[in-house]
Amino acid sequence: MKERLARYIASDILNESDRVIGDDEDLLASGLLDSLSVMSVIHFIEQELGIDVPAEDVTIENFVSLRAIDAYLGRRG
Amino acid sequence: MLYLLPHAVDRAAMRAPDREAIRYAGASLTYAALAERADRLAGVLRAQGVRRGDRVGIHAGKGLAAAVALYGIMKAGAAYVPLDPSSPPARQAFIVRDCGIRHVVTEPSRAAALRLLLAENVPIECVVGIDGEVTPAVRVVTWRDVDAHPGVAHDPDLVEMDLAYVLYTSGSTGTPKGVAHSHRSALAFARVAADTYGFRGDDRLSNHAPLHFDLSTMDYFSSALATATTVIIPDAHTRMPASYAALIEAERLTVLYAVPLALTHLLLHGALDKRDLSSVRWVLFGGEPFPTRHLRALMAALPGARFSNVYGPTEVNGVTYWVVPSLPEDDDAPIPIGQPYANVETRIVGDDGEPVADGNSGELLVRTPTMMRGYWARPDLDERVFWKRTVLGHFEDVYLRTGDLVRRRDDGLLEFHGRKDRQVKARGHRVELDEVEVALGSHEAVESAAAYGVPDEDGSLHIEATVTLRDGQRVTAEALRAHVATSLPRYAIPVRLDIVAAMPRTSTGKIDRRALALNAKGRAVTVEPT
Repeated sequence: MKERLARYIASDILNESDRVIGDDEDLLASGLLDSLSVMSVIHFIEQELGIDVPAEDVTIENFVSLRAIDAYLGRRG
Repeated sequence: MLYLLPHAVDRAAMRAPDREAIRYAGASLTYAALAERADRLAGVLRAQGVRRGDRVGIHAGKGLAAAVALYGIMKAGAAYVPLDPSSPPARQAFIVRDCGIRHVVTEPSRAAALRLLLAENVPIECVVGIDGEVTPAVRVVTWRDVDAHPGVAHDPDLVEMDLAYVLYTSGSTGTPKGVAHSHRSALAFARVAADTYGFRGDDRLSNHAPLHFDLSTMDYFSSALATATTVIIPDAHTRMPASYAALIEAERLTVLYAVPLALTHLLLHGALDKRDLSSVRWVLFGGEPFPTRHLRALMAALPGARFSNVYGPTEVNGVTYWVVPSLPEDDDAPIPIGQPYANVETRIVGDDGEPVADGNSGELLVRTPTMMRGYWARPDLDERVFWKRTVLGHFEDVYLRTGDLVRRRDDGLLEFHGRKDRQVKARGHRVELDEVEVALGSHEAVESAAAYGVPDEDGSLHIEATVTLRDGQRVTAEALRAHVATSLPRYAIPVRLDIVAAMPRTSTGKIDRRALALNAKGRAVTVEPT
């Protein structure tokens, strides 16, 4: 999922398909994602994995980096 | 006597030296510390050659350093110019050159981004706030040097008419334009906001907007006038509604001020039912219309808070407001922009410049002490935006043409009816569609370009564009978007770009942008936000 998400952010959100996003790169403070692209990322995850991400889980801790998102999805099982 | 913006901080430092002035991510500066650090920074800037009327850039994210920077720059007698660190380096470089910025205040974490800016061949001579050398070579002063400086006395020649800051906004000719405010105009609005909403020393105001966005001025300057605390919302929290809600609760914020889109996200994705937000007593919003159904739902979710619209172009800060009463369930009509704040004259005129008949729509002109001095180095734009009339013999009354069409309702409240020109608010950001078209047209393959706003479900709008190509030229939409990303801020980049063989034309042969926008609105596509 981490790789698919990295590709999605690079090509669909940033419009730079060759952009490499590091596992620990800060997606939020660096300005990579704005509030609307955060919503797109959530939507993408929900579609791809067929899960529901409740609003209270959409926090900085869970979505700050690809590694954090991966860990969050791991906890979701 | 208080007549310059930094005087508000100095007065607060006398009255309540130990009160927190600014909080950011758990760290804080008391009023005494803020006043002292700003004095030291002013001393450094004076020593580096900054004089009254100079423009000094702030190249920093929101945080304690940026707060010190804006007061330190003004204490040195200069005007601060926020450079949006997330905008393209070429756009920042344009602003630096346009505004003649020779000094920049920054922070160590921005060193890499600052190098990109310096590589753009800009006239910057001195950078305050990084460690180590940079190329091309400029004079470097560290924050440690700032803390060791004894500070400086105020320039006694500085008066309230002197410039306090210049905020750059989208310009219809293809380059941004600087809105230059004086201490007088900024203080006039800070005072009217502090009075209207009754800000107190125990208030905790949020700063949600970035410094280059004029909403931020109330967060800092009204707060200092009231000896209140400003809590800066970190950028990450502005992107994560549930974290933003948690921060409001943890920081016990009493005044929120943000664009409607941010508050709509807070409502829809903030998990508000899990939070105690009873500390909030004012929710202020401005920048674009707030969809009535979302506003009503947010009011229900925060029953202890009062809500007020703040309306006004950057050129005049805020000029009208409406404290929103209970909204009826069955009416989603847009709320009015309201009544003038104290000390504001409004005038609604038709195309002939004469006041319209009662109840008719016309352009809103305002006369107010909160008005800018003018656009930076653009007398041609001043000529167009200021409307003057001679009174009492040879005196002149000066009004600002807002470009906004309004109508006065029977109850006296003003309603917003759109724009006279092609300016739109894309997710709260002011964008001239002409600037987007100029950016597209600067690509060698593009023959003609049309940009237009398309409404979103959440009540805001996004920008789309259609282009035709020169004979024999080929280019992808992705490449075109990448091209405009070198000159436009992110929110102004068309979310969708169509390349067509021929533009739809009106009967008079002009590009039919209305048809393009209607077509885009009707298209049931999932919009990929940028």
